[in-house]
Amino acid sequence: MIAVYPAGSRYSYDHGWLRGSFSFSFGPYYDPDNTAFGPLRVFNDDTIAAGRGFGAHPHSDMEIVSVVLRGSLKHEDSLGNVAVTSFGEIQRMSAGSGIIHTEGNPSDTEEVTLLQLWFSPERRGIAPGYEVSKYDPEQMVNRLLPVVAPNPAPGIAAIHQDLTIYLSKLESGHSLVFTQPEGRKIFVFVIEGAVQAGARERLHTRDSARITDTRSLELAALDDTFFMLIDLP
Amino acid sequence: MQTQNQLLIKHAVGGRTFIDSKKDPVPYSVEASPEGWMFTVQTTWNDDVREIIRLKDELNVFIFEETERGTKKTWYYVKDGRVSYDGTSGKLTLFAGSRIEYFPGDYSFY
Repeated sequence: MIAVYPAGSRYSYDHGWLRGSFSFSFGPYYDPDNTAFGPLRVFNDDTIAAGRGFGAHPHSDMEIVSVVLRGSLKHEDSLGNVAVTSFGEIQRMSAGSGIIHTEGNPSDTEEVTLLQLWFSPERRGIAPGYEVSKYDPEQMVNRLLPVVAPNPAPGIAAIHQDLTIYLSKLESGHSLVFTQPEGRKIFVFVIEGAVQAGARERLHTRDSARITDTRSLELAALDDTFFMLIDLP
Repeated sequence: MQTQNQLLIKHAVGGRTFIDSKKDPVPYSVEASPEGWMFTVQTTWNDDVREIIRLKDELNVFIFEETERGTKKTWYYVKDGRVSYDGTSGKLTLFAGSRIEYFPGDYSFY
């Protein structure tokens, strides 16, 4: 089953320095029927103004992945990590038994746009951790490039959950097929462009789909399309 | 019971606030032991308490304390969902296994 969530169905906000959309219950948006898709708990599409950010705050028992689409994102945490990430890099933080961090836009002039995803971990109480991984954007053209997965590998951020995040830039007219074992889930988010998912569903920029009971999914680009696919338990 | 500092109990996913002793004063105490910290909050049963119990594995508990250096925030890790409510005494109890103290001004974005 493919459930399509149009971009406009998300909770959107504009605080001036911060604007964006929540795909799941977050902050002032609370819908008890939209709190998760498998271990995926948060999918925020944020744009932060130059020089602004989120002050120090804690996290626990959550795997937090930030994918920078434009601009740069600065992270600082209680473990002593300080890093600035930009397009082509993935930030993964395992909150585990507790971490304090800040994140914001270090630029004086440019906005930063990022996707931030929170996942429930496989187990609670692990030691907190943080990493930045780099991927080659050329490697995602017309294929699914894994950028986050349970096992560490070059170009892949290691996550404490049985899931894989792929990025793809599918050129207009190209298609690909993703297969997975029975019982798993697929989350698709179109960053830019338009894609046909399965036989009928069409997803445009910032639309998403939650897919269950499907072992094989064909994605066909209706335009040059940049999208994320997550294989979930 | 302690009232001078601010107690906050929030959902760790999304940040919904269930108890804020500054907005809605509730008597509470924090008792330290070798294993951690036991919070006792005197409150009537309500929707927020029900949510605290339902989400007992996903809580953020804070004490905010005004100091000469500014607001000191202490965040407590509520381990293993040891959260319960006793309707007879009207007491909510939460056990935290560890904590981290921080001053927001020590970080670059605050």
